[in-house]
Amino acid sequence: MTDTIFPSTAWFQALARRMEHDWAAYRALGSIDCTMVVRVDAPAGPDLHEIVFEGFKVRSVRRLARLDDAAPDHFVLEASLDTWREMIENIQVNAGPDLTHSLNYLTFPDYPMRVTGPDQLEVDAFYRYNQSLQRFFNGAAVVPTVYAA
Amino acid sequence: MSKYTPTVEMGLDRMRERARGNFDLRWMNANPAGWGHTATPGPTGLRLRDVETGHYARVPEHGSDHGSMAPRGCFVPDGTRSLGMYTMNEMSEVWADNAGLLYDEAVVRQWNSVTDVPWHKLEKLPDDIERAVCQMCTGLTEVEFVAGDMPAKWLCRINHDFHEVKLFLATQIMDEARHLDVFRKRALANGGGLMMASPGQEELLATILEAPDYTTASALMHIFGEGFVLTLFREGEFLAPTEVEKTIFRLCMQDEARHVAYGVKHLKYFLERHPDRAEQIHKILDLGEQAMFALTLEPQTSEPRAILAGGGLANIELGMARMAFIYAKQVREYLRRLEVAGLDREPRLTIPKEIPFDELAA
Repeated sequence: MTDTIFPSTAWFQALARRMEHDWAAYRALGSIDCTMVVRVDAPAGPDLHEIVFEGFKVRSVRRLARLDDAAPDHFVLEASLDTWREMIENIQVNAGPDLTHSLNYLTFPDYPMRVTGPDQLEVDAFYRYNQSLQRFFNGAAVVPTVYAA
Repeated sequence: MSKYTPTVEMGLDRMRERARGNFDLRWMNANPAGWGHTATPGPTGLRLRDVETGHYARVPEHGSDHGSMAPRGCFVPDGTRSLGMYTMNEMSEVWADNAGLLYDEAVVRQWNSVTDVPWHKLEKLPDDIERAVCQMCTGLTEVEFVAGDMPAKWLCRINHDFHEVKLFLATQIMDEARHLDVFRKRALANGGGLMMASPGQEELLATILEAPDYTTASALMHIFGEGFVLTLFREGEFLAPTEVEKTIFRLCMQDEARHVAYGVKHLKYFLERHPDRAEQIHKILDLGEQAMFALTLEPQTSEPRAILAGGGLANIELGMARMAFIYAKQVREYLRRLEVAGLDREPRLTIPKEIPFDELAA
């Protein structure tokens, strides 16, 4: 299996395929309807990807030139490339995050990850669908990944 | 003289008519406006929003005055008796535009404490950590079902034309039952037990349950109370010593965020139609903030979390300092939710936006 670069549209699409493969597990967690923007702060500048969840799957993945291009209703999950890398590697080593690398753990103190949004209800969507979002990123366990320079 | 009552005799007469082939059948054409309706399932199945279209989507500003449980959109025969219990008949008293959506979401995102929590991963914890977890679970077991009792108090008064709201509130009652259940189970499952109740919590619970009307009760409970608890659940996941607590808090967090979303949208709907009632909402929030602030400082509420945040009793002071940001986060998110609802609370806030632990410790 070839390595996929993080962050990239291909990487998030690989997670989307995992989600389809894992349909029964997502069905058990319940439907998820929200738009997540992943922001990766890399030395070359910020990288933005919009992932639209609908029902039990990802409806679309696209790279954004700027945050203003995102759907109006969205939340942003943002962190440095190093933080994303540490989280993904932790998921890969443990087949899921350990106690200190879950999405909630990393975002709760607003450091090293942060959740933002146009208003608080959008941010609350991150809490409302947290189990499903965590499982989505857990899909990284089986996606061989290399990191953007 | 018949041995049967007049009611039974009437029934027998009808049965005789039917035996002779005389059927009524008026019901077959009683509701022509509602006939011929179809629905197309969405990607997740057949949701309320998929069926509540056309004739059935018309939610009256003032609920039907027949006072029965007859479903919205059907034909209600003259003479149908009123149950005399529906006193909340104005849509603005209960409505939220997301109520149907949240109901669908609630029913497909249900979980249970029997099989969805990896109880087999419980492990023996240091005594001070187990005591802190058990005290936290005692407090949450105590407080959670107010969000069941409060909707239950009002549910039977809500006009049946607003069934989306009634259905959503029913899911909330089930959610809270699950929360009570799962925190009690955790307290009793790992060598500890229930610990000290919280008089401070009872003050807040009384303010919610004694609120003069549903919307003030909802603002206080759904937005203020559950918003603060939502942060506590996030904190619980953050501080969780094992995968068991992590799973519990993550699952509860999702439910709580749904309840908050209803409360925000209901208050928004209400204030758009009754801006003059904003003062009433401010007043109940004044009371809630005072009760919550007292509660935040209650030892059985704050100290267990400080022990967990510090990694043990020996580091409780460090834990207290680490927790300072949580209070600030709770207040910030509370104000931002009210902003979405259309209430500018910041100038009226009766509690500090953050607790200056460093200053207090100096």
